[in-house]
Amino acid sequence: MSAELAQRWNEQSRELALTCDARGVIVEQDARAARILHSRVGSSLRELIVPGSEAKLDALLAQAGSGAVDGWELALIAFGKPATLSICACPGDSDRIHLYALVLPDDYGETVRHLNEAMSEVLSLHREISRQKKELESANTRLTAAYRDLDESNKGVLSLHAELADKADTLRRTAEVKGRMIANVSHEFRTPLHTILGLSKLLLDASDGPLTEEQRTQVRFIRTSAEELTSLVNDMLDLSKAESGKAVLRPERFTATALFASLRGQLRPLAPSANAVELRFEEPAADIHFDTDQGKVAQILRNLVSNALKFTERGEVAVTVQVQHGQAEFRVRDTGIGIGSQHFDTIFEEFGQIEGPMQARVKGTGLGLPLSRKLAELLGGTLLVDSAPGEGSTFTLTVPLCHPEVRELTTLESRPIDPSKAPVLVVEDDRKTIFIYEKYLAMAGFQVVPARNVEDAHRLLEKVHPAAIVLDIMLEGESSWTFLSQVKQSPRTKDIPVLVVTVTNKEQKARALGADEFWLKPVDQDRLLRKLRSIAKPGMTAKVLVIDDDSKARYLMRKYLEHGPYQLLEASDGLTGIRCAREERPHVILLDFLLQEMTAFDVLDDLKGDPRTRGIPVVIITSQLLDASDRQRLAAETEAILSKDSLSRELAINRIRDALQKAGVGKPTQQVSGAPDHG
Amino acid sequence: MPSPTLASAGACVELRARYLSAQRTGDRRAALRVVEDGLGQGVSVNALQLEVIQAAQHEIGRLWQENRISIAQEHMATAISHMALAHLYDEAERAPENHKRVLVACVQGELHDFPARLVADALDLAGFDVRYLGADVPTPNLIDMLLQEPPDLLALSATMHFNFPSLQSAVLRIRERVGRSLPIMVGGAALTAASSGSAQPLAIDGTAANAPEMVARARQLLGLAS
Repeated sequence: MSAELAQRWNEQSRELALTCDARGVIVEQDARAARILHSRVGSSLRELIVPGSEAKLDALLAQAGSGAVDGWELALIAFGKPATLSICACPGDSDRIHLYALVLPDDYGETVRHLNEAMSEVLSLHREISRQKKELESANTRLTAAYRDLDESNKGVLSLHAELADKADTLRRTAEVKGRMIANVSHEFRTPLHTILGLSKLLLDASDGPLTEEQRTQVRFIRTSAEELTSLVNDMLDLSKAESGKAVLRPERFTATALFASLRGQLRPLAPSANAVELRFEEPAADIHFDTDQGKVAQILRNLVSNALKFTERGEVAVTVQVQHGQAEFRVRDTGIGIGSQHFDTIFEEFGQIEGPMQARVKGTGLGLPLSRKLAELLGGTLLVDSAPGEGSTFTLTVPLCHPEVRELTTLESRPIDPSKAPVLVVEDDRKTIFIYEKYLAMAGFQVVPARNVEDAHRLLEKVHPAAIVLDIMLEGESSWTFLSQVKQSPRTKDIPVLVVTVTNKEQKARALGADEFWLKPVDQDRLLRKLRSIAKPGMTAKVLVIDDDSKARYLMRKYLEHGPYQLLEASDGLTGIRCAREERPHVILLDFLLQEMTAFDVLDDLKGDPRTRGIPVVIITSQLLDASDRQRLAAETEAILSKDSLSRELAINRIRDALQKAGVGKPTQQVSGAPDHG
Repeated sequence: MPSPTLASAGACVELRARYLSAQRTGDRRAALRVVEDGLGQGVSVNALQLEVIQAAQHEIGRLWQENRISIAQEHMATAISHMALAHLYDEAERAPENHKRVLVACVQGELHDFPARLVADALDLAGFDVRYLGADVPTPNLIDMLLQEPPDLLALSATMHFNFPSLQSAVLRIRERVGRSLPIMVGGAALTAASSGSAQPLAIDGTAANAPEMVARARQLLGLAS
């Protein structure tokens, strides 16, 4: 090896050799040691040690003094920074120690340090996750406990609820008892009051001899007191009826002019012309038509006017009416003492009169306004006040021109029969009950045809062939029994199932008269629906009878009608057709003009001659050109004449619909344009 | 803290021997099994942390000192102990939150973070909200953190005696910048080594010889019922 190469190796080497004494003072070192450790002879290894390794250096020196040591790791400052050296050592002469050391590559140390850091971070993350997990677990435990608590309190709430329901029930019963008691007591009062009124009148009329002036005054006092008591009793009676929902609504048609005329007559005595207060009814520019309870409107207005007159000393009381958004607004305006806005609620409370000199002087029952407001609500309207002390008061009564129940019933009555629904004739005088039937039956695919009385029912049966009749037997006493027997005797209607519903057990009588079912009120809705379903399928299809000897023509008609709401009956000859018509009672008959053994005229004669089939509309279908006389004759007895050449699905369905409409089944349809009619 | 019973102490000696041998052979699983067995025998988490793992770590340090294990082996053994601590943390029951924030850090230059980790775990399991910063935290960074998110308590760790000056300067500068009111606790071997010296007293609020002591002192300082 050349000296140059040897020197180069020396310069690259990470090994060194040195000799030190027992205390670590360097006595001899090679060039590599000087280069690597920056040490010099005479300096101590202690100066080179990395803090913390001093003890390990001492241990090395102690051990190497007595024997060879191998692979001793020691941290020293090498190349100017801390490094680990792997050292071999052995004892030399005079307590000297020979050391041979290798500087371990520092990147290993670096790597280990990085790995440690990474591990530390991973472990920190691990703790974080572990902690979150624990928190979740404890949250879960808390939630479970909370759930248990909630479950318990829920049970508590439920039992509380049941208790409340009990209480509410008790309260309702108490209120009912109170209402009944008021009603009864009021009735009991009325009889003696009428006696007092009558007798005092007799006394005043002096029919049993004259009274002294003093006596007359006394009797007049008795009479006035009895009158006041009567009006109180009447108001209480009305109010308790209105509150219990037992007030009967008697809607009728009337006009504002007529209403004002009768009110004027009734109220004139309250405002004699000599008085300083003028009572005016202002007629509306255009008369207003009502369909609601006139008696109740009049009662409210009478009340308001008499109140106004009581609290007005001079000026006027004016009654006006105008129409706003389909509602009538009656205003009763006075120039009286007025009411502070803080009392607006009080005056509508029962016996809620305001304290004041005028109020003390004026007599009243304390029930007028609360009753008026109740009645206004019954009419679907409102009663409001606007006033200020000293400026008079204005009471505004707003009522729908047509009472909502009346309107609903009118809507029910006037709607066309839906061919996709089975009609059910409901003969029932109570509007609310009709609405209940409508609610339940409409959902199940039936259409309620309401009849408020037996006459309506008869009239409707002329037009409609219902799937069933529900008959309330309380209706107008005996006439409903008569109606039942009439329905069951008429060949046209006797096959219609009749469900008799009543509050009194008259099953035998009902059965004897032909009722198919007899139920006591209240009717169970599920049972009603089950029964009706068994009688007539909801979405009942119209029965169409085709009489044609040509099987291809029948096939064609079958195809035309196959997806519509039609049940097709077929007859291949006239006699079969007539028999089928009698038995099956189709809603419409499609008749071929030219049958093999009969003409359409023969068939028509038979159909029209039988009451069972007379009403069934007939549509003539022909492949022939008809002469004028035939055409004329047919047109009189049939619904339509269709030519087979121009027959289309749309045309056939349109004609069938029209015929059904005429028979009272189905609604008017738009014409499907295209093919010609009657020709 | 309940002192370990005699039976438990005997169990700990046996567990420590097994644990140490697992460490020396670098067998992670065997080491974790020792911890599991200890838990199974009813040895407390605390006893396992102190009497088994920390004691084994001391032994590892001694073995290195005597050059009976290499630095590489020492690192491996320490890594195993860190894992064992993490495992114990998983198994331990955590006390309810006390909503006190504690910052745990090794002083600048201190690379031995095992004792700090032990303290952090003990505080955490005692219900403290612990932020553990690990080894060799530069003092300026520590001060920034203290200013940004002031904790209720700072726990500083210094193991090597030559890091005592670093501890001194850290405390001094924290007092300058953060103020007197922050409670500071100090722990670690550097303290015992330095206590004999004439070093001027640290402006701190308490010291602790081990993790349970640290938890007790921390409770006391923050006015928590122990």
